[in-house]
Amino acid sequence: EDSCVRLAGFCASISSNESFSPVTVNTSGCQDAAISETHLTLALPGRIESWHGQLGHGGLISEEEPRTVEALWGMTMRSVAAGGWHSICVGGGDLYVWGWNESGQLGLPSRGLRKDEELHEEVFISIQAFPALVDVSPSCEISTVSCGSRHTAAVTTGYLYTWGWEYGQLGHQTTSSLDEPQCVEFFRNENLHVVDVVCGSWNTFTAAVKK
Amino acid sequence: MASLWSKISAILPPTEEQFPLQFSDKVALSVVEMLKRARQQLYGDATSASSRILTAQIILDYSWERLNTGTWRHVDKEWRRVYSYGCLFKAAAICRRSPSEEEILQAIRTCDMGLLMGAAIMENILQVIVRILQREIRTLAKEEDAHENIEAKKRKIASPHVGLIKDELSVPRIKCPSLESFNANYLLPLKPVILEGIIDHWPALNQHPWSIEYLRSVAGCRTVPVEVGSRYTDEDWSQTLLTVNEFIDRYILNEVQDSESDHKAVGYLAQHQLFDQIPELKEDIRIPDYCCLGEDDEDDITVNAWFGPKGTVSPLHQDPQQNFLAQVVGNKYIRLYSPEDTEKLYPHQSQLLHNTSQVEVESPDAERFPEFVKAPYLECVLRSGDVLFIPVKYWHYVRSLEISFSVSFWWS
Repeated sequence: EDSCVRLAGFCASISSNESFSPVTVNTSGCQDAAISETHLTLALPGRIESWHGQLGHGGLISEEEPRTVEALWGMTMRSVAAGGWHSICVGGGDLYVWGWNESGQLGLPSRGLRKDEELHEEVFISIQAFPALVDVSPSCEISTVSCGSRHTAAVTTGYLYTWGWEYGQLGHQTTSSLDEPQCVEFFRNENLHVVDVVCGSWNTFTAAVKK
Repeated sequence: MASLWSKISAILPPTEEQFPLQFSDKVALSVVEMLKRARQQLYGDATSASSRILTAQIILDYSWERLNTGTWRHVDKEWRRVYSYGCLFKAAAICRRSPSEEEILQAIRTCDMGLLMGAAIMENILQVIVRILQREIRTLAKEEDAHENIEAKKRKIASPHVGLIKDELSVPRIKCPSLESFNANYLLPLKPVILEGIIDHWPALNQHPWSIEYLRSVAGCRTVPVEVGSRYTDEDWSQTLLTVNEFIDRYILNEVQDSESDHKAVGYLAQHQLFDQIPELKEDIRIPDYCCLGEDDEDDITVNAWFGPKGTVSPLHQDPQQNFLAQVVGNKYIRLYSPEDTEKLYPHQSQLLHNTSQVEVESPDAERFPEFVKAPYLECVLRSGDVLFIPVKYWHYVRSLEISFSVSFWWS
């Protein structure tokens, strides 16, 4: 619809409101929407509204009404993506992340990914309740972003960066999960310019053109 | 001496065809395919250990995601069964070729994850496997140095000198009352009382006294949920999974220091149905006879273990069932408030914590909670051998005064 998003389905919130008939939400000017099993995120001009699951409001309680993510108020967000337990959005060329980080999907230090010796050194984030800025690559702007169940992929100017849970979907030819964005060298080696990315739950699809 | 694998093989269905894999259509076909592949690999010889483990891990990872989506009570039981099958296939794969002690411990941990997060499959086969694996560990341990046993002294816990409980505020005590008199004088009028002498016959207090050494020998390598943080209403409160050995070392004996902070974090093995997970410990306790005065079948009675160091605190709260709190090891300070005085106890407004008071019982904020000091209460020091009857909805606050192990029975 032009200015409305219709939703139906099971809302597993604490007060157990099951919604089996479509619910209309006024979202005029909505630029983007992302839906996952646990939450819905909308990108409206100048605002992000999200509810259910990891919402970026600073708490862990489900919300039944869309609510603006206050921390990002005033910034124009171009796109938004939702993973199984995390959300990301892109505004002003920057990447903001929030939600669960148990597999490093936020690109912030994750305790489970580090060996015992390193455990005393850093501050680990297991849940990021407010949006946090993540540095994907030193110079490039983010053009597209997508989330899988527990991993994240971002396209900059021709390069693909991936991080999070690894079952092969990060494309780095290793088997370790990553809690830091890492460039997928394959495209550089093959002289391919990455233009788009879409993630399935446990896999990643990219569109690339020969340079 | 039969190999470990032959012992495990013996309790599995003899052939692939007889190995059940029945699921409702809640479970995606692709997952069922994966389970069938794992079954095929289990009964075939051609697969490598790493392939078997990978197949099992995929099943575990996929079902784990389902278990962590939405609220726990809405997770379909079928997914919990899938998770248990994943644990079964993984444990079997680990034990296939002469596993090391470390690998056997890993297999035990895997089975425990299935027992904690999954749902019973194949007549609780994970429980049977754990028993086999624990026996194997004990056999290996016997071969190690005997002098280690001599050095493990039974720790004598000195009873701390407790502040005097005022007589007029103390919970009444009664020794072995008849069913009729307990019913008439305490259950029907919903009055708290400490029952003395009613668990004297428990093996936990006689043949198998629950010392730290005994708990290590029976359950040391078992994985249990532990609450970390001073109380469950705190922001930094969390839950983690540890083996009983790790829990004892880190939080009971404080032998492993938390290097991040100077003060030791409190860890509490709390509100866990340990006796379903570890049947050897279940044999050391008995359901109190007085529970027969309720309407529940024995199977419906919830039995929880509460094992922790000095200083564990359960904030003032109420439960929706009758409770017998049996004190096995150590002493606990307990304060009780009647449900009639609920308004003076300032329960939290949120749905999640509406059964919990906002007030810090032992240092109440008189400005925020002025009525609290006017609320009448009863208090006691619950000692080893005592059983406290906490009537349904009666508010209770608990603080351990030393290393403590309690068993609670929730019944209706």
